[in-house]
Amino acid sequence: MAAAVGVNKQTAAASMDSCVRHGRGTTGNTVKVLECGVCEDVFSLQGDKVPRLLLCGHTVCHDCLTRLPLHGRAVRCPFDRQVTELGDSGVWGLKKNFALLELLERLQNGASNQSGMTEDALREMGECIIRCDEDESHTASMYCTVCATHLCAECSQLTHSTRTLAKHRRVPLADKPHEKTLCPQHQVHAIEFVCLEDGCQPGPLMCCVCKEYGKHQGHKHAVLEAEANQIRASILDMAHCIRTFTEEVSEYSRKLVGIVQQIEGGEQIVEDGVGMAHTEHVPGTAESARSCVRAYFADLHETLCRQEEMALSVVDAHVRERLIWLRQQQEDMTILLSQVSTACLHCEKTLQQDDCRVVLAKQEINRLLETLQKQQQQFTELVDHVQLDAGIPVTFTKDNRVHIGPKMEIRVVTLGLDGAGKTTILFKLKQDEFMQPIPTIGFNVETVEYKNLKFTIWDVGGKHKLRPLWKHYYLNTQAVVFVIDSCHRDRLMESHNELAKLLTEKELRDALLLIFANKQDVPGAVSVEEMTELLSLHKLCCGRSWHIQGCDARSGMGLHEGLDWLSRQLVAAGVLDVA
Amino acid sequence: MKHFLRALAQLFAFLYCALLWRTLKFLTRKVTGRCELQRICYNHKPGARRTLKIEHSLKSSKSDLLRSAVGVNPDAVEKVVDDIMALKQINSDTNPQLGISLQASLFQIVGYRTLMVQVEKLRREPYDCENQEHEAMLMKLWKSLCPETPLTARISKQWSDIGFQGSDPKTDFRGMGVLGLLNLLYFAEHDKATALQLLHDSQQPKHSTLSKAEWERRSLEKAIGFSFAIVGINITELVYKLLMSGSLKTHLYNVAPEMPSLVHFHQTFCYLMQEFHRFWIEENPCDIMEFNRIREKFLRRVTKQLKNPNMALCPHEPASDVHLISL
Repeated sequence: MAAAVGVNKQTAAASMDSCVRHGRGTTGNTVKVLECGVCEDVFSLQGDKVPRLLLCGHTVCHDCLTRLPLHGRAVRCPFDRQVTELGDSGVWGLKKNFALLELLERLQNGASNQSGMTEDALREMGECIIRCDEDESHTASMYCTVCATHLCAECSQLTHSTRTLAKHRRVPLADKPHEKTLCPQHQVHAIEFVCLEDGCQPGPLMCCVCKEYGKHQGHKHAVLEAEANQIRASILDMAHCIRTFTEEVSEYSRKLVGIVQQIEGGEQIVEDGVGMAHTEHVPGTAESARSCVRAYFADLHETLCRQEEMALSVVDAHVRERLIWLRQQQEDMTILLSQVSTACLHCEKTLQQDDCRVVLAKQEINRLLETLQKQQQQFTELVDHVQLDAGIPVTFTKDNRVHIGPKMEIRVVTLGLDGAGKTTILFKLKQDEFMQPIPTIGFNVETVEYKNLKFTIWDVGGKHKLRPLWKHYYLNTQAVVFVIDSCHRDRLMESHNELAKLLTEKELRDALLLIFANKQDVPGAVSVEEMTELLSLHKLCCGRSWHIQGCDARSGMGLHEGLDWLSRQLVAAGVLDVA
Repeated sequence: MKHFLRALAQLFAFLYCALLWRTLKFLTRKVTGRCELQRICYNHKPGARRTLKIEHSLKSSKSDLLRSAVGVNPDAVEKVVDDIMALKQINSDTNPQLGISLQASLFQIVGYRTLMVQVEKLRREPYDCENQEHEAMLMKLWKSLCPETPLTARISKQWSDIGFQGSDPKTDFRGMGVLGLLNLLYFAEHDKATALQLLHDSQQPKHSTLSKAEWERRSLEKAIGFSFAIVGINITELVYKLLMSGSLKTHLYNVAPEMPSLVHFHQTFCYLMQEFHRFWIEENPCDIMEFNRIREKFLRRVTKQLKNPNMALCPHEPASDVHLISL
């Protein structure tokens, strides 16, 4: 009976020991001690695994009993083949083995008590002190692999002094082999395999019985050791990764420190030529940036001051000239007045003289009258011509030059391939009239007044042979208007090349660039966005002020917007915004 | 106020003149017994002077018939002349010359108007690549100007050899339409020698004193003045402007004994092309950029010449010749 039930105190103790050593959680409710002799599963207090007694005295779990083959109304004991008659209720009618159940219950309680008792041992574990199994007061230093006992050197000598025992392999405690964990279901078998099925991942461990007959029957599996080694290797890998990661992080933070230092600047020990070490202040980047800003604004201030002076001098010169002229006029008028009054006096004098003298003076008087008339005529002409106005209208250009006068003059050159519509645009702007022009040979020049600007537009022919001559028109040009025919896709590249050539010209470095994408009214014309893309204008015109404007010389759409852009670029602040 | 007074004064002066002129006319008629048209026809030889005076007389006439005569359809000219004779109570038997002269002049006047319409229509007709007729004309132009070199493609760099701007002449015809092409073609076909000479000159260095190498070196900078085709189109515009402004009347009335036709227009173009070439060489410009200045100067000169009613730009051709050409 003892063999059948398999109550093994020693095993139980060992198991308990292992439970205590390897995991606290498992000691709670189930004590895996008593198992069924057929299925080797642990008995439970109720349910399928309840132990039931057969007539012969053997105990088998309820589950196994139900599986036994029926011989009429009887079953045979799987151990000694004695027959046990079953009642109407079948297997359920058999008596439970209450003695065993009591024992089971008691063991479970005992286990919970024991777990309380092992607290001390645990604490010792925490301190990594293992007591000698022979004498509690000693500290173990070696381990007998055969007896599975912890021993101190002294006790080891003492207990293993006999010939047989002396052969036991004893190792230092550090080399103690790992104890084999036993299967919780089948206490006698150690866990040897790992289940690889996804469903069993919460409890993948199994012994050979679990593998062949138990709950992992037919599951894919691996050898425990190999699996463990694999996991160890991966942990090692991870550790390596972590180490490099840590290094990276620390490297980065070191760099951060360096950068902060560089920004802030600070003292640094420098050796001078003689070899004397002394500290020197090294300026940080923050400081150099600040000084850069300061230098820039100082420069700006200086330029502004210079420009202000220049502008003021222009105004002064203008005022001076104007005043000189006005004074001159004043003087002239005074002279004129005196001349006139002299003539009057002379006339009066003549009036009072006698007849003969009057007649004699006729010629002289006539001459006087003639000069007087001439002077009067001159005066009327002058007054008609000159508009007396005290106002000094001032306009500023974008480069802070001052312009005096009602209209600011701007020189613009219109360029582009032949047939792009340069002349048409020019005449549309000039006369607001659409006409089909004839090919321009040479150039056309017109002045177009727009708002408070006076554009002098030079429209140079786009014929291939004329293009080298364009450069004669660049000089002192404030703006280039480049006209592109939007409906002629195959000539876009040619336009691009000409434009690229233009942009490299030194004379045009500071010139504004206005690109007119002409003929937008024609269906199928390249849109402004597409053209910007096709000609890669952002790249081409990098670093200069440019603008692309879709337009249509037929209706005049977009032309004034283009001029607006030009005037916005050229005029900083107009006192006279005749908008 | 001042301007208003001035305008008023001008108005009065005009009214006075008109009245005076009418009175004078009336008196002369009474004295000589001839109407104004008769006087003009008898006092002037056929030509621009006579026709211009007749035109002026008709236009400023009181009679609706006379005023509308200048705008009449060419087919109806003979009837109009008869009507005028009837209105003026002129016996065609006693004055046989008058009817003929009046008719000839009226034909010239009406013909000029028709020509204007015709030319304007041609100018407005854009060059069309799809139109086989246009294409054929363009090809013919090339063949006449460069008989030795075949054209490699319809759109080719070769076009710039005869002075077009790009590789497709179509774009250059935008302002003058088919008129420009017709003029060039007429020039190349009917005055071939001159046209070829001009083309040759346009391809040559301006100063023959320059060595060939030097020319090559400077050719880019001094891309010589004369691009045959586009200059032709520019001159076409010049002739067109002259025609539209009426300045060409003197010339055409002198040249064409009857109705001026498109042929006369083409001939005028050929002549002005030649003249412009000569003028250009005389002016000796330093580069092509002076083209517009020289063109303006040329136009002023021609306009001034045309002020003289005896002026004819190209030599007179007998009527029979003209007919032959127009046939």
